[in-house]
Formats: sequence, structure tokens, C-alpha cells
Amino acid sequence: MKIKRKTFKADVPAMAMGDIAFNLLIFFVILAQANDDSFLKWQPARAMEVEPAGYARVSVLIDAEDKLYLNGRQVGVAMLASQISNLLEDRPPGERTVLLKVHREAQAMYYEPVIEAISEAGGDLVHVLDKLNEE
Amino acid sequence: MRVRRSTNLMTEPPATATGDIAFNLIVFFLVCASASPDSGRRQNVPRSEQTPEQQAKAQHVEVNLTRTTIAINGEATLPRDVAPRLRMLLMDKTRPEDRVVVVKSRPEVPYHHWIATTAAIEQAGGIVTIQREEERVVQIGS
Repeated sequence: MKIKRKTFKADVPAMAMGDIAFNLLIFFVILAQANDDSFLKWQPARAMEVEPAGYARVSVLIDAEDKLYLNGRQVGVAMLASQISNLLEDRPPGERTVLLKVHREAQAMYYEPVIEAISEAGGDLVHVLDKLNEE
Repeated sequence: MRVRRSTNLMTEPPATATGDIAFNLIVFFLVCASASPDSGRRQNVPRSEQTPEQQAKAQHVEVNLTRTTIAINGEATLPRDVAPRLRMLLMDKTRPEDRVVVVKSRPEVPYHHWIATTAAIEQAGGIVTIQREEERVVQIGS
């Protein structure tokens, strides 16, 4: 006589599918932030009047060690204008925003050439600042 | 005899999902916190290229910055007086090209000082232009 083996059914719990999909979504959204410079150390200067900077394709940052970064990648100031031009391509005015993030104690010898380079590349300069609260 | 109806229909959420829910909430708020939009100030800096003719004609207001001081046309000015003084100087200038204010900074001027001064210039209706210190070749005699 043949004895039938007992079969066990193993199912993947369907309840977790939503969570897995959500986590994957967040993972790819974070990856898509190509110009991420959140790992760099800098403190913004403060100003009384600030406005939302909006979306920008180009972000230039001078960190606390006076190093220059374009979209999170370290660059030299000599090639900055041409690199910004390449990134901005032939975009119309209004879509040529360049965010400038400068550490509040950075010196003029570092940030002035950068401002000139952005101007030379035809970028719409936006200084990224913190709001200074009146007390 | 009274028959008691069973009305206990409450179902408890599965406790195994609590960890997942907590994790998802943490990730969600972390992403929200890191993606906070930047705020700042727009600045239109005209290119500093000028023909010799233009340079000869134009008499622009000049603001000199050192690490801690501000001078307008060579006269030391307190930070709070920059905007009112510039407003006076630019009062009768209607054309945009006449409202150009040339900012000359010493190499050691910190960014927060520069930003505060240029904000005051723009508040007074001036158009900021940067003039960097020219490089000078110093020959040391033998």
C-alpha cells in the first residue's frame, strides 16, 4: 500500500506586498535625487526676507572647508562656468535657476569667482539662505 | 429561556504588521525631512564686462567691504545706514544702468557680511555688480 505524503502549502503573505511596494517607491525616489548635496557640511547665512527657491537643475555649494561642489560633485572654479552652461543647455529664462549655497563664514576670494561664473553662464542666481527671525 | 446572541464581532489588527507600519512611518518622515525645499534670495548680477567708453561715462556708486566695515564712495557707513544712504544717492537716477552699485570686497570678507550688504543695496533700489580686486604681479628685485 502506498502511503500518501502530506503536502504543506507555503504562501507568500500578501499582506506585506503594500509595504514592500511603498519601500521600493521611496528607495527609487531617493535614488532619483541625482543632485543631492545633503551630505556636505555648510551653514547658510541668514537674511530677513527669503522666498522659496523653487526647483533648480543646478546647485553650487561652497562647504565649511571652502571646497566647491557642482550638484554634489567636487569641481574647480576655472571650469565652473562651462559646466553650468552645459547643464543649463538652452533652457529659457525662468528655468535657468542656479542655487548657490555658501557656508556663512566663506571668504570673498572663494565665493566671488563662483558668482561671476554663474553670471557668465547665464544662470538665474538664487542665494540659499535661512530666514532671520526678528526678536 | 433567553438565548444570548453572540455580538462579539471585533477583530484585532494583526500584531505582526505593527513593526512594518512603524518602519514605514519612520522612512516616510525621514524622506519628508530631508526633502524640505530651499529658501533664499534671487539676485541679478550683471556681467561686469564694460567697454572703456562706458567706463569713462558711468560714475557708479561704489561700496567697499572689509571683514567688518562698509564704506560708500569711500565714506565709512554703519550697516543700518547703508540702505538709507544709498537711497539718497540713487534718488535721481532713473535708468537701470545708472543704478548700478559696484561692490568691491577684500578677499577675507565673509559671506554673511556680503549678503547683508548686498541685501541693503537691493533694498535701496541698487543693482549689485561685483568688481574683484585685480591680480597684481609683484616682482621681487634680486
